[in-house]
Amino acid sequence: MKKTILIFIIAALVLISLAVWVVNADLSGDLHEILMVAGALIVLGFAVFMGVIRLRSNLRKEPVEDELSKKIMRKASSLSFYISIYFWLVVMYLSDKTKLEAHSLIGAGIMGMALIFFLSWLGIKLMGWRNE
Amino acid sequence: MNNRIRELRARFNLSQLELAQQVGVRRETIVFLEKGKYNPSLKLAHDISRVFKLPIEEVFTFPE
Repeated sequence: MKKTILIFIIAALVLISLAVWVVNADLSGDLHEILMVAGALIVLGFAVFMGVIRLRSNLRKEPVEDELSKKIMRKASSLSFYISIYFWLVVMYLSDKTKLEAHSLIGAGIMGMALIFFLSWLGIKLMGWRNE
Repeated sequence: MNNRIRELRARFNLSQLELAQQVGVRRETIVFLEKGKYNPSLKLAHDISRVFKLPIEEVFTFPE
């Protein structure tokens, strides 16, 4: 239960930080800024979704994690790691081709990695994992 | 690997949640097992078979 509450607290802090940034930053409405905010919201939504799943498990008196959920998480982590390596190669290529600053590229890279992990997790969850 | 979990649950009048609670997993794991989207560990297969009072090979089968 403590971990569940921690997830919600961190999600709330990230949301507040994002809101403060959006309000105070001099955003020009560029595509990459919109994509950054959208990506952050997707990652945040995923974190909240995981928190809700954990909370529901607590209320149902069933284990928050079991062998299937742990295996899916491990598989998603390893898959997203491999994909992220190639993703960073693309980011390095784009760093020469675009006028984006280093901190924007790094931020986009981190956001990309989070999205890759979310999509990996979702894909494995939908397809299942027969371990054959 | 195939299994007869759904059939045996109906015979023993167990819901997915009840079976999950008896073997110590999430209901989602039972759903995945019944849909054939997940193969259980040996321990989980053993625990499920014990609930149904059957040998493992009568609950889980490998197609020839």
